[in-house]
Amino acid sequence: MDPVLADRLQFAFTVMFHYLFPIGTMGLAPFVAAYTWKAAHRRDEESARIAAFWTKIFAINFAAGVVSGIPMEFQFGTNWAAFSRTTGSVVGQPLAMEGIFAFFLESVFLGALLYRRRGVPSVFVAWAGVMVCAGAWLSGFFIVATNAWMQHPVGYRIAADGTILLESIWLVLFSPFAYWQFAHVLCGALLAGGFIVAGVGAYYLLSRRDESIGRRLVRAGTIVAFAFALIAVFPTGDRQGRDVTRYQPVKLAAEEGLFTTEREAPLAIIGMPDVARMRLIDPIYVPDFLSFLSYGNYKANVNGLDAYARDLWPPVEVTYYAYHIMVGLGTVFAATATIAVVLLAFGRLWSARWLLWILMLIIPFPFIANEAGWVASEVGRQPWIVYGVMKTAAGGSPTVSSGETIFTLIGFAGMYFLLGVLFLYLVLREIGKGPSGSEAG
Amino acid sequence: MSVAGFIAIAFMLTMYVLLDGFDLGVAAVAPLVARSDRERAATMAAIGPFWNGNEVWLIAGAAALFALFPAAYASSFSGFYLPFIVVLWLLMFRGIALELREHFPSEIWHQFWDAAFSASSALLIFVFGIALGNLLRGVPLDASGYFRGTFAFLLNPYALLVGLFALATLGVHGAAFAAMRIEGEPAARAIRVVAGGSWLVLILYLAVTALTVSMSAPLRASWLFVMPVLSLTALAAMWRSARLGRARDAFLKSSGFIVTLLAASAGTIFPYLLPAYPARNAGISIFAAAPSETALACALSVTLIGVAGIAVYTPLVWRRMAGKIRVE
Repeated sequence: MDPVLADRLQFAFTVMFHYLFPIGTMGLAPFVAAYTWKAAHRRDEESARIAAFWTKIFAINFAAGVVSGIPMEFQFGTNWAAFSRTTGSVVGQPLAMEGIFAFFLESVFLGALLYRRRGVPSVFVAWAGVMVCAGAWLSGFFIVATNAWMQHPVGYRIAADGTILLESIWLVLFSPFAYWQFAHVLCGALLAGGFIVAGVGAYYLLSRRDESIGRRLVRAGTIVAFAFALIAVFPTGDRQGRDVTRYQPVKLAAEEGLFTTEREAPLAIIGMPDVARMRLIDPIYVPDFLSFLSYGNYKANVNGLDAYARDLWPPVEVTYYAYHIMVGLGTVFAATATIAVVLLAFGRLWSARWLLWILMLIIPFPFIANEAGWVASEVGRQPWIVYGVMKTAAGGSPTVSSGETIFTLIGFAGMYFLLGVLFLYLVLREIGKGPSGSEAG
Repeated sequence: MSVAGFIAIAFMLTMYVLLDGFDLGVAAVAPLVARSDRERAATMAAIGPFWNGNEVWLIAGAAALFALFPAAYASSFSGFYLPFIVVLWLLMFRGIALELREHFPSEIWHQFWDAAFSASSALLIFVFGIALGNLLRGVPLDASGYFRGTFAFLLNPYALLVGLFALATLGVHGAAFAAMRIEGEPAARAIRVVAGGSWLVLILYLAVTALTVSMSAPLRASWLFVMPVLSLTALAAMWRSARLGRARDAFLKSSGFIVTLLAASAGTIFPYLLPAYPARNAGISIFAAAPSETALACALSVTLIGVAGIAVYTPLVWRRMAGKIRVE
């Protein structure tokens, strides 16, 4: 096997497994902060129990995130030595900021929430929750900024020996590409967080226990999920789509399954890409809509894959399916959350057990949508590791063979399996015990 | 500025060794310190709040190395490929073992997870020690600055000896921490481990130092001759504190001892991040491995501001955490 393909498989596997946990921490962090704040100020038993409950679930998520995340930091060096050596001057910066600014904040203040002494002033507790949330989000920001630079490199120059050197860290951190991408990623996580909270609440209501807490969770969760399901589409999704149209048009063509360049390009809702024949099999189209989404004009010309050399195409099928899964699930989320919020407004939600069932069972799907979005974005970036500047094929480690990488990939799979089982066991046990079983701190 | 970068990396890795060192050390000496199931549970509880946060120093240190000296980061991480992956697995497994323990209802399972936790932690210290040994000895770099660390090369007698030394040193460090955090019988045993272990540390220290000095014939910096004096003073002071039963003092002096060791190591390889073997006055130096001035300045400011912030809020938070652990 090509060593770089083995490296890609390993990175894809480890990062996709790892990312399950940051979705949880970024999405649940504001709930932890809000519930902790409320408990610290109101001092009623129920709020304190809810805060303690979500802090515990957050902590399990965070620990699994750290344990699965350490390999990510190492892999840049172990498996992508040439990439690290060439781009470290830029890519190393936001990664170092993540470690030094965000990660410490999150871990230290989470420790404060979990292991605080009795009788610690409530102001301190309330702010510790806010700091945990700030840490989780900052962490996400720096990682997305790193990725955004690989998608749309700015603020650098190329030295005589081919090394990429940092010119301006501000351009890297505050490129519009980076912050729209971060906003969209955060929406995805908050949407997941909302559905997790609502789903756990729905579980309590359906099993007729902790009903007062269950209602609070469903109410808060659905409202958050509703808000961010909409913001994920507009403006954040829309803006990111426009950035892709502008800077990575061939990725757009692959995501949308647009093989031929067209004026009045239609939007494919479903269909199977047939790359050999350059067409979609059994598509359902919305006429002219892709032109409108990309350029705000129904008559605009949109470049298809045929406008680009074949060796610059990303893997079309994976990009297309992943993108359509993200968009399709996003639509389902928006619809579900809208119905839930409407029923909530009319006071009908508590008797609509069918909807509570849906809310409970929907929990895994935001995770799938988040992962699919990343797959579309990252596989769609191929064959570039730094878009337009450095090819993925040139990024691997010259001293590491594909066999070694496959071997360690299998090892990671075993370790992650153990971690995954442990995580599910711990989280399900906490949910089973419920907030009423949580000791109010 | 490259020198400041070198110091920043050395500082972060020292913090990692001091902090994760104590929780690794506690795990490694747990079989000597805790006898019953409840005592072992108390030992785990003593490091429960800290281990995750301590590992963050490793992540931050690796990230800072990436940002400051990408060439050294790329070459060392890919060259030590399998050992580093083994470190990752051990780090993960030990976290899993620690968290799993309490969730199994039987004592047989507790014993299994305790043994797994202690063994993986001890092995981790040993592997870190071997890595340090090889760093001091140098690695066979090729013309493009890469190398391939084979097991036969990495597991040389000198590196193995440094591995043992690391195990003894951090074991004592962990025992001092355990004596400080736990109450009752295990604390008394822990402090005896510190006092007795000091002798083992002393013997290994003399052996490692003698070998290191003989290997690196022309010492690059004359101030390095001061280091053995400082190290031995700290070690003697630690032994004394342990004999007097002052756990907190012993822990601080153990920390001082470790700082002198790492400072001496850093001084030995300076200005190289990755010295070449066998010609050790070559290799990837901080000047060759550094990225642009802008990048260095940026990474340095990040490190300084970040570490200053951490120095402010960590003690603030730790003061508010629960005190000594009682055996239940």
